[in-house]
Amino acid sequence: MNFWFAVLRQAGRNLRQTWPSQIMTLLTVGLSVLLFALFFLIYQNMLNVGDKLGDDLRLIVYLQEEPGPEMQEQLRRKITNFDEVEQIKFISKEDAYKRFSEQLGDDRDVLDDLPTDFLPASIEVTPKKNLRSLAQVQLFSEYLNKLPGTIKVQYGQEWVERFFYFTKLVSLVVVLSGSLLILTSIFKVAHTIRLTIINRQAELELLKLVGATNNYIRTPFLMEGLLQGLLGALAGIAALYLIYTWIKLKFSGPGLLHLFDFTFFNGPTIFTIIVISITLCAVGSYTSIQKFLRK
Amino acid sequence: MTESTIQPDSMIEMIKVSKVYPPDVKALSSISLSIDRGEMFFLIGMSGAGKTTLLKLLCNMETPTNGLIEVAGHQIHQLKGAKLAKIRQKIGVAYQDFKLLDNRTVAENIAISMEVSYKKPTIIKKRVRDLLDQLLLSDKHDTMAGELSRGEQQRVALARAVANSPTLILVDEPTGNLDSTTTARVMNLLNKCNHAGATIIIATHDESIYRNSQHRILELREGKIFSLQGGSPS
Ligand SMILES: Nc1ncnc2c1ncn2[C@@H]1O[C@H](COP(=O)(O)OP(=O)(O)OP(=O)(O)O)[C@@H](O)[C@H]1O
Ligand SMILES: [Mg+2]
Repeated sequence: MNFWFAVLRQAGRNLRQTWPSQIMTLLTVGLSVLLFALFFLIYQNMLNVGDKLGDDLRLIVYLQEEPGPEMQEQLRRKITNFDEVEQIKFISKEDAYKRFSEQLGDDRDVLDDLPTDFLPASIEVTPKKNLRSLAQVQLFSEYLNKLPGTIKVQYGQEWVERFFYFTKLVSLVVVLSGSLLILTSIFKVAHTIRLTIINRQAELELLKLVGATNNYIRTPFLMEGLLQGLLGALAGIAALYLIYTWIKLKFSGPGLLHLFDFTFFNGPTIFTIIVISITLCAVGSYTSIQKFLRK
Repeated sequence: MTESTIQPDSMIEMIKVSKVYPPDVKALSSISLSIDRGEMFFLIGMSGAGKTTLLKLLCNMETPTNGLIEVAGHQIHQLKGAKLAKIRQKIGVAYQDFKLLDNRTVAENIAISMEVSYKKPTIIKKRVRDLLDQLLLSDKHDTMAGELSRGEQQRVALARAVANSPTLILVDEPTGNLDSTTTARVMNLLNKCNHAGATIIIATHDESIYRNSQHRILELREGKIFSLQGGSPS
């Protein structure tokens, strides 16, 4: 208990002496958390959209000939060889004809003159609903194209590709802003603590001489780092939440954002961001103080 | 191997210790010395003779170039981390240059040595007041150390050295800037600590404090032992 009393007293002294640079650090950490969380939020929401759009994602493989049961089994095996899929459905020429005529409704009499097998048989492949299958849908379609007896493979090529590249771009930005977060928080915190150490060199040297343990000297600085990480993350996320509500208010009503739910982070994600921020700041302060103690 | 193999009740053992400051300042050469637990010991010699260097070796502020030093049975220069911290808490040093924190109050300066060994705040407060009383500094409790006169700073440094009731007290020039009344107060305090069992080594130019004492006096000249007189280390 006396240890923590001493630690808190020391941390209080640190704050009192260097509060301007402490605040600057807090702002820097907060800002980088905000930046990272913003892009991460966008990314996360895009994944949601991707999931929704992925619901409709289906590859249709048109076949030259109607496959017999043996052939069906073989095709099934070949398709699942490539990747797990949600569903594989064989559509015979007859089924295709029925479907088509149902779609035509009252106009179905235009089909009267045509043979019932004028439409090709096909396979409907529904990939698993995740981003990975979205990402490789093109590869998948190329693969399906090479299956024996395939005439042509169809899917919503245009939007899938565009959407996929956009998600890729955003994920790149997430990675970049994440690295920025890592760099700024570690270095800014390390720098501030180095300043404090230089400021109080005489005192820290004296503490060593009168027999302060490394923990006695180190812990206040670590606490400072932890606090920077915690407060910085809270500030960053709070700011992001404000921006989020503002956007929601601004764009409520019919519009693009109404196509899907624009959602904020859930509890565990917020918790993880805070923990990451705290860890980074603690690492920053630890390296600084360790450099001093090792001398 | 840090346990003493020499004498169980000696506080300090030095065997053929030399110290050369880079590039080639021979501050101490081949000093062999044994100081008992509970002894009061004077270290004298001209300016530059090596008194401060000897004290710095004993508290591990400097490392010897050659030789063996044991303090309380530990080869102090081989200790690290928590062990070194622990033994340093048991060694009180009043530095010749004081090493006070100028932007802290007198009370805070004295408290530091007790804070690092987690003494209770109430005990610290009481001890600080008590020491300031004994050293005629009661009215300086909340003064910044940087604003004190040298004589006052000297006494604050001493108070910090003895505050945590260490078993070994190293004092470098405790009375250099003091009048005779204050000097008497300082020696009073040191004698009190000595009677309480502390081993005390005092480096000094001040003849008045060692002239009539029964304690051993070591005179250094140019880094060597010139004479060792008085006392009877039996
Ligand atoms: N850090 C150092 N670097 C180089 N030389 C030093 C250092 N400290 C002391 N010396 C030299 O070592 C010798 C002994 O110095 P020391 O401080 O031990 O003397 P002293 O007996 O304490 O003198 P004084 O009575 O003036 O305090 C001197 O010649 C001094 O110049
Ligand atoms: Mg000296």
